[in-house]
Amino acid sequence: MRVTLWGTRGSLATPGPETARYGGNTSCVSVRGREGTMLVLDAGTGVRRLSATLNGSLRRVDILLTHLHMDHIQGLGFFGPLYRPDLAVHIWGPASSKLTLRERLMRYLSPPLFPVCLRELPSEITLHEVPCGEVDIGEFRVSSALVCHPGPTVGYRIEEAGGGVLTYLPDHEPALGVNAFPSLPREWTSGGGLAAEADLLVHDSQYDAHEYSGHVGWGHSSLGQSLAFAALSEVRHFVPFHHDPSHSDTDLDRLYGEVIADAKPAFQVTPGQEGTMFEI
Amino acid sequence: MAAAKSIQIILARQLASSVSAPILLVDAEGTLVYYNESAEAIFNRRFDETGEMTADEWTTLIAARDEDRSPIPPEERPMMKALTRRHPVSRTISLRRPEGDWRHVHVTAFPLIGERDALFGAMTIFWEI
Repeated sequence: MRVTLWGTRGSLATPGPETARYGGNTSCVSVRGREGTMLVLDAGTGVRRLSATLNGSLRRVDILLTHLHMDHIQGLGFFGPLYRPDLAVHIWGPASSKLTLRERLMRYLSPPLFPVCLRELPSEITLHEVPCGEVDIGEFRVSSALVCHPGPTVGYRIEEAGGGVLTYLPDHEPALGVNAFPSLPREWTSGGGLAAEADLLVHDSQYDAHEYSGHVGWGHSSLGQSLAFAALSEVRHFVPFHHDPSHSDTDLDRLYGEVIADAKPAFQVTPGQEGTMFEI
Repeated sequence: MAAAKSIQIILARQLASSVSAPILLVDAEGTLVYYNESAEAIFNRRFDETGEMTADEWTTLIAARDEDRSPIPPEERPMMKALTRRHPVSRTISLRRPEGDWRHVHVTAFPLIGERDALFGAMTIFWEI
């Protein structure tokens, strides 16, 4: 599978010369299978650039939303395929205890927040509520599970038949309430089952250690915690993701340089930058 | 590798490990998957020593009787009732620890129910009288 990062920023789109290298668009990752299946992980502002690259022969797209915070759905209304009547768009995402996925999406895709209503979109849209166990989408087997983040939030594990495993946990605080994280085995760690022995893990690394101490319970991880989670999960390749809007390229270079040198991970680490592509 | 726990069970354990009241946590099958440090007095053993225990194992270890001193069968204990009937149970009972004496306690048990009515387990909190 080919994994491409279209938006790596957390919380708020942060364009500007000081964030040009890591990128200012919010969460969006595309996954293209060997047989052509196209998955889109989250629809942050990065999804707009992705949609411009999709060719006219595509007949189906699956958008897998981890949760419905604004930085993960803001690009949805600007995703070109939603306006193509010849295209089937499947949107997967969590319901809440009181609202269906459709009702939750309509809160954004309706005036006054957006001029077009969900029901007015010309593409053939099908909604699926997660977590729903394992499902097959084209050549991919997709698992989802609720993880530690405020509100209903899932992570995804994507396995390609005869191929590799991608785990996507962009907003995740597995260290919440755990002394000296990670002090518990993998099965007792939020997201542990999804990330186990993944070939590529894309994971929340919003803060440095000092910043995390002021944001406990906000649903995000420090880079040190996410490195520890990657080690616990025994992944092969780790991509820190969901950079804090206050971090410039210079800040991120310094943070990754210091923390990775200190942690000396036994796996490859590639800080998430917009446009980066991975082959699994 | 052991199966991954649900986030509801993981967060329940984290909550239990950070409060002072004795708490037991079972999964949907009634297996005791965790008890906190305060609850170690109930079993006379640390959780690290016992590990997880099936419903048969842990209900055998602790004897329970009602206020009339009649034994409470396992399926009528607050935790198991909360699990099978999916509603909270609160009552006063007497417990006897392994190799221990009888203790009068108030027990509150409640089920952990998630989206689409999925049952993940139950928790019991003990209040010493």
